[in-house]
Amino acid sequence: MTTLKSWVFTLVNLFHSVKGENLHWKTTNQDQQLKLKHARVLAEKALEAELKKKSVRLAHEITLLQTKNDAELSMFKTKCKQDIKDYKQYLASLDQLKRSIQASYTHLPGAVAFTIHHHAKHLLNLMWEAEDFEQKMHYEMQLINFMTTVHEDARLHLEGATVEKLPEKTMRLIQPR
Amino acid sequence: MFAALAVLASVDLSLWKAVPGLPECMTRLGLAALLSAFGLLVAAGLAILFKRIIRSFIDYFSARQRLQRRLWFIQAKQDRLKQLFYFKTIQVRYFNELKRKRLLSADNRRHLQSLSKVLTKDLLSIKQQLPKTTYLQLQQEHVRCRQLQDIEGLLKLQQKIATLV
Repeated sequence: MTTLKSWVFTLVNLFHSVKGENLHWKTTNQDQQLKLKHARVLAEKALEAELKKKSVRLAHEITLLQTKNDAELSMFKTKCKQDIKDYKQYLASLDQLKRSIQASYTHLPGAVAFTIHHHAKHLLNLMWEAEDFEQKMHYEMQLINFMTTVHEDARLHLEGATVEKLPEKTMRLIQPR
Repeated sequence: MFAALAVLASVDLSLWKAVPGLPECMTRLGLAALLSAFGLLVAAGLAILFKRIIRSFIDYFSARQRLQRRLWFIQAKQDRLKQLFYFKTIQVRYFNELKRKRLLSADNRRHLQSLSKVLTKDLLSIKQQLPKTTYLQLQQEHVRCRQLQDIEGLLKLQQKIATLV
């Protein structure tokens, strides 16, 4: 019984000493703890302010982005419309090209006029579908050169400067195909 | 709980010493102590759980978390806008290309018809000079090319007719 009593006393003493130690530690570190708490609150506030600032900045960026996107999209649509218009004009000028060659060479076989027109259209499509800018320019130059040659042949034949029955220069341009 | 276990151990001791009436009383006391210890344990667990839930709620609705969520929302909106712009550009390009293809096929059709007319005229003009089988073969080829809308085939056919004459 005495041993049990002494054990209980030891336990109670131990409990008290732990509590005392804890109290002592709290007293000595009170200032530091307060500072820590204060610093934590300050850091929290700073973080909140930073987040708020970031949100406002991002919201502003979004407004700018939206305006920029709208403007770019509208420009792109206009460019596409213009492209279609250009393509239509190209097709019309190729028709004109065919009519011009048929009008100049009255005895020109139908196959030749159609082949010239078909070749010009092929060049036009190559130019239109080229992804690379340099390639596009190359095909464009080829097409312009081809159309100029056709018109030149037609003009020379009309003026009687040549006796050839076929637009030879144009045919030479088609041959390598 | 330790006290309850100590009381229950003392019941064993009193049984061994054969003290009358004491074990029964001690057993009741030990059981009550054990039950209350369990009750206390459960209550403490529940209290901790409740406290944590409340703290999580408070943290979830705290200014920092709300601002963080708002920031994420705005960032997601920005990404969405960028993606939307990209897809709208693709859509415009697609419809533009479709329009161009329609123009091209309409033009091709027009030229195909006019080429076909010329071919029919040419074929009729040389009908008498050709054997019947050759004429029929050429006509079949003509119909086939026209149905397939094969301009190159028609051009080749016309060249072939020109060489036959």
